[in-house]
Amino acid sequence: MKQLISSFQLHKRSLLTLILSGVFVWSLFSIKWNAELFHSGGGPIILQILKGLIHPAMKANLFSLGLQSAWITLAYAVAGMTFAILYAFVFGILASGILASSKTARISTKVFFRGILGFTRSIHELVWAWMFVAAIGLSPYAAILAIAIPYGGILGRIFADMLADVPEAPIKALKSAGASRMQALFYGYLPLVRADMISYTMYRFECAIRSSAIMSFVGLGGLGYQIQLSLADLKYDEVWLFVYFLIALVLLVDMWSNVIRKGLTGSTSKKWFGSSSISSVLVILLIFGSFGFIALGENAHLFDLLSKNNLEFTKKFFGGLIGLNNDRPAFLDLGSWMDAWKLSLETLQMSVMAIGFATIGAFLTVIPAARNIANGTLTTSKTWYGWLLFGIVRVLYIFSRAIPELVWAMIIIFIFKPGILPGAVALALHNFGILGKLWAEVIEDMDPRPIRNLASSGASKAQSFFYGVIPAVMPKFLTYILYRWEVIMRTTIVVGFVGA
Amino acid sequence: MSSQIMIEVKNISKHFERKIALSSLSFTVKKGERIALIGPSGAGKTTLLNSIAGIVKPESGELLIDGSPITRYKDGKKLAKKIGVIRQQFDLIGQLAVIHNVLAGRFSEWGFFKSILSLIVPQNKETANVALERVGLADKMFEQASNLSGGEQQRVALARLIVQGPEIILADEPVASLDPARAEDILTMLTNLVCEENQTLMASLHSVEYARKYFTRIIALKDGILFFDLPTEKVTDAILTDLYQLKEQG
Repeated sequence: MKQLISSFQLHKRSLLTLILSGVFVWSLFSIKWNAELFHSGGGPIILQILKGLIHPAMKANLFSLGLQSAWITLAYAVAGMTFAILYAFVFGILASGILASSKTARISTKVFFRGILGFTRSIHELVWAWMFVAAIGLSPYAAILAIAIPYGGILGRIFADMLADVPEAPIKALKSAGASRMQALFYGYLPLVRADMISYTMYRFECAIRSSAIMSFVGLGGLGYQIQLSLADLKYDEVWLFVYFLIALVLLVDMWSNVIRKGLTGSTSKKWFGSSSISSVLVILLIFGSFGFIALGENAHLFDLLSKNNLEFTKKFFGGLIGLNNDRPAFLDLGSWMDAWKLSLETLQMSVMAIGFATIGAFLTVIPAARNIANGTLTTSKTWYGWLLFGIVRVLYIFSRAIPELVWAMIIIFIFKPGILPGAVALALHNFGILGKLWAEVIEDMDPRPIRNLASSGASKAQSFFYGVIPAVMPKFLTYILYRWEVIMRTTIVVGFVGA
Repeated sequence: MSSQIMIEVKNISKHFERKIALSSLSFTVKKGERIALIGPSGAGKTTLLNSIAGIVKPESGELLIDGSPITRYKDGKKLAKKIGVIRQQFDLIGQLAVIHNVLAGRFSEWGFFKSILSLIVPQNKETANVALERVGLADKMFEQASNLSGGEQQRVALARLIVQGPEIILADEPVASLDPARAEDILTMLTNLVCEENQTLMASLHSVEYARKYFTRIIALKDGILFFDLPTEKVTDAILTDLYQLKEQG
């Protein structure tokens, strides 16, 4: 009996893996696999797209257009994140419940503010953008608010969690020294979570750039808009030029956040002060530059939004949301429910397929992508092509994750006919790079000693991989798969925007 | 005792950045010897064992294993037939069952597909059983390795060595994180095993007491230099005090 239980414990993870694989295979059955999936001219189009990939358009006027659009994308992202941080900061502190005086007050503020944060983040930024464009027209503030609201919701939730998880001892010490709740907040809680907050905000900033780029789907400018225009003209070389601009932008932010993160963890080095003050100046410049550009360059003002016209529309819009003035609101109609059920099933299938493809892709590439395998420290066997493969796969990952899933989808629907498959492929292409990067970091962080010992009992590279690496990293790999699946499900809903 | 030379170390040196780890070290080890490697922390014990195991490459000098240079054993599988390694825990894949950890000793003979198949249906189960029987853990065969105590984990590592059956066993602080009773238990098992199979053993230890009790010869290192190399019975207390003495401050 005991053996049975322990063997169940041992196979629990394999069982989960098996179930997940089963669900993936089930999702594949939802597609009729035949030539009908592709456009009749799919082959030559792929060739043309690949040609543009290698030879992007190199014209001076396009270059300046690219720079300009990149700046718009960046400015929207910065302005959106500024509002998001303000919103998240206030609501996050309130939602953490640390300011509440009594137990009932704590629970009620927690539930209330967490509810608001949860609601704002559960709606995708594109849906917000679409609502704002409907309400206030094609103003940059539509994009900015569309980014600010869901990102504020996510940031606020994470801030609240961080504040709630602060170690108790230093806070208690402050309070026993006579600190008020506000003093405890500024001298205890905030300094304790500062590093984590900044590092998470930087990560979200990188995501905000991608979100800003896809605001073109509701008609707003930026890099995504240029990509869309070039695609409409079938100029694939221009498409890739703008995609390269987007990748460069994402990479720059990624590098910057790495510098900041290193500064936050290695606080002893002197370089810290230099890089952190440069970063602070950069943040201020970016915020002022972005808002200045939006106010002067695009002539948009926040207070203009409060015109009478807009208010009327907003009322109508939110009224529709809760079914006011409607004799038969959609949510009371059986037919709508059936449609909704069918659509959710398709959403589920698309998301499962997407995470399945991404997992397979990442699984096949992750080994050479880990630094400690490339330099041979993990398996104690070094090969001349280790670093070469590492470079290739890492470039592939960057490429894959820097391009938003919706931009992938735009390109993909030139090859596939609309349906579940192109949506799944686009989602998979974007998540493949994210998953691969996260996994590679798991391998880089693992304990190398058991692996080395396997090597000294004569294990080949493949044997140490299956006996040493896989069992050790599998739990974390699964966690990341489930986490990305959740994100994909949320995105699947908006992939419908491009007709996939 | 046969006179076959198993390990021959000739003037090997190794630096880590500016620190000297090994400084032109030479000695030979005959088949069946049980050698304790002692010395203060940072004396180069682990570096020496890692060099003999082929994990660290010495900058200069020569290293012969059973008469041929270690560089000749390019294939890890061939080297695994000659040399097996055991360390202070951390040897095992905690997420795998005990039996898989033991059967990893078979890797030098198994092909890729057999090792994958074995993860689902354990191969050579009898071999694993015999080895676990010898270390007294046959009932824990299907337990997850990370659920075992430190002493039990080290016994699983021994069972792996039994399955691997190398001619030389290198042990790097094999009992460092165990309490005295477990430590003696592991050392007794290890030395008995080596005697029965007529293997050659080289182990680094912190405890001089264990070195005297279980080993036939003691090699002492200090700052990467051979401090002494004597049969156990000739090691005096005076020379040991010298070995562990801290440098005079001043």
